[in-house]
Amino acid sequence: MFNSKYFPQRVYIEKGSLNFPLTQRVLKNIGQVPTEVLEDTTSLLENMRISRDVIEQGKKVLLLTSQRGEFIKSCPCTPGYIGCNYYIINLDLNCPLDCSYCILQHYLSNPLITVNVNLEDLWSQLDVFLKRNKERILRIGTGELADSLALDHLTEHSINLISYFRDKSNAIFELKTKTVNINNVLKIKPARNIVIAWSLNSSKIAQEEEIGAPPVIERINAASKVSERGFLVGFHFDPLIRYPEWEKDYREVIKKMLETVDPTGIAWISLGSLRFPPFLKAIIKKRFPGTKIIYDELIKGKDGKLRYFKPLRIELYKKIIGYIRDFGGEQIPLYFCMENEEVWRDVMGWVPRGKENLEAYLSFPLDQSKIKLIY
Amino acid sequence: MKKENLSLKEIFLKDERYRISYYFSLEELVLSLKKVGIISPPLVTFRGERCILVSGWKRVLACLKISLSPLPVFVIEEENDLKTFLTAFYENLATRKFSLLEKAEILNKLKKFGEEEKRIVRFYMPLLNIPSTLSLLDSYLIFSQLEPEVKRVIHEKNMSFPSVELLAGFTPQERKLLLPLLLPLSQNKRKKTLEDLQEISKKNDVSAEKILKTKEILDILGTKRLSPLQKADNIRLLLKKKRYPALSTWTDSFNSLLKRLQWPREIEINPSPFFEEEDFFVKFNFKDQEELQASLHKLQELASREELSEIFKFK
Repeated sequence: MFNSKYFPQRVYIEKGSLNFPLTQRVLKNIGQVPTEVLEDTTSLLENMRISRDVIEQGKKVLLLTSQRGEFIKSCPCTPGYIGCNYYIINLDLNCPLDCSYCILQHYLSNPLITVNVNLEDLWSQLDVFLKRNKERILRIGTGELADSLALDHLTEHSINLISYFRDKSNAIFELKTKTVNINNVLKIKPARNIVIAWSLNSSKIAQEEEIGAPPVIERINAASKVSERGFLVGFHFDPLIRYPEWEKDYREVIKKMLETVDPTGIAWISLGSLRFPPFLKAIIKKRFPGTKIIYDELIKGKDGKLRYFKPLRIELYKKIIGYIRDFGGEQIPLYFCMENEEVWRDVMGWVPRGKENLEAYLSFPLDQSKIKLIY
Repeated sequence: MKKENLSLKEIFLKDERYRISYYFSLEELVLSLKKVGIISPPLVTFRGERCILVSGWKRVLACLKISLSPLPVFVIEEENDLKTFLTAFYENLATRKFSLLEKAEILNKLKKFGEEEKRIVRFYMPLLNIPSTLSLLDSYLIFSQLEPEVKRVIHEKNMSFPSVELLAGFTPQERKLLLPLLLPLSQNKRKKTLEDLQEISKKNDVSAEKILKTKEILDILGTKRLSPLQKADNIRLLLKKKRYPALSTWTDSFNSLLKRLQWPREIEINPSPFFEEEDFFVKFNFKDQEELQASLHKLQELASREELSEIFKFK
């Protein structure tokens, strides 16, 4: 089994964050790594920004700091496309994996792998947030600005977050990962409102474009273990990427996924095609000169992001959904990430009436009758 | 620094070690020199027996053109090349803006004269309004090594950083083939042409040189009735079609359908950008009620035709 856990070359701790329990836990779990306490990170970031590949340099360093603002943010989705009312917890920022298409290369002004250690603030913010929205079923996760499990052997976030959310009746909590870092997840008792989700891709894309991430088959095997443990699992085919033979390769991975993981234990599968802001293209060209994924027919969408020409997206989605149906996934809720009404109608045959509608559609894990839990 | 009068012949102009400016026009300066002479003396220094020009190339070359000699100069008594160059750099920095290629030349000289990379990035690049990153320093150093004829075009066309960066990514032979195509195009079209060519090449693992020597392109280049601008534009469009084949097919089919429908020219119809949305847009002008009615009548007639339904396949 793939076992390449992330350990930084150096740890920086902001002075005010030194005494938090999470800081001490990370330092205990990390072992012998040079550590330095900083008054502030300004000069560290300035030095880092000069380097030839600031993103690569940033991944070598772990910063333990505190979130000074809100931990919980509404997922920004993208203007002009249908959102799903997802909420993100900005607990960790940045990711040790190095996917060529990753939006974080452009998104974060701070390139360091960052862990916000003031968990007590998170719990109190979550208490208020969930209470304020008690009439809704909220979907919330940590996998937007970071991989939810990539640092879990250091932070043990999964244990704390699942323990917090397990008795929250109006929240579905999702951990989203490309890793197989599931030891902590397997140790704890499942709950019906917890979804452990994997980003999947074809083996070729995983191997060539998702640097540092485990092979797809390992991710599917990890999902199977988590599913057998009694957790609901989710899958995100995002970004779907076209290349010669993409159909055959995606068919293969979907077949493997549905042969390995019980479809009734799959909370949802999301689909999204390759998209990124134009500025990211120059970064990808520079950092990944061998990649070809940015040279397909990407046009400027309503939101200004580059995405496949619509007929190509529709073809891609129809094929992928066909494979999911063919291999036994007819009942699994499917949704698009950042797609427009036309594509929804053409491919899915229905269009969510706004993001609340999609939120309700995806809140079925809390309908207990559909879930068979194994404790 | 002492002021002296020097004969032009005494300045060894073949030594360009401190030179950062090329491709300038001397006409206005010649006129000024004829009227008022040199007001701001150039800077020189001595290396062995030779007098080397440090700053004021434009002034000295203009003097040479009108044989204005002797001329006043300031002599820098400094043996260190970096320190000498910095005198010229600061003199220029205070009085004018540098072009992209001049910035490239300055960074190249700083490195050549032994300035540390990190100091160049942290200290000098902000002075040149360039963000402080080593990767940008690398790009500018590459620009400074481009062929003189390429540099001339970059300078004359005031090419933007992204275009120059794209151009620098081709081989010298490819750049040679590209120059006549780039010259007539506007800034945006030039960048798009370079980008499309680079991306077709990368996607298909075919060299740009091979693409530029395909029959389709050679045919355009060999068509005598086409002007240089028409040739460049046709090649630009051809590259665009190769880069976006599905979109181009849709656009062509949409336009063919309009032809078949005999869509009136005075009523403009467009799909949404890149056919991304379902809506179509119609635009027409009118001066009076009569013209409005005529256009609406035409539209009504078009809307009632069965073939029009084909247009809604493009959404």
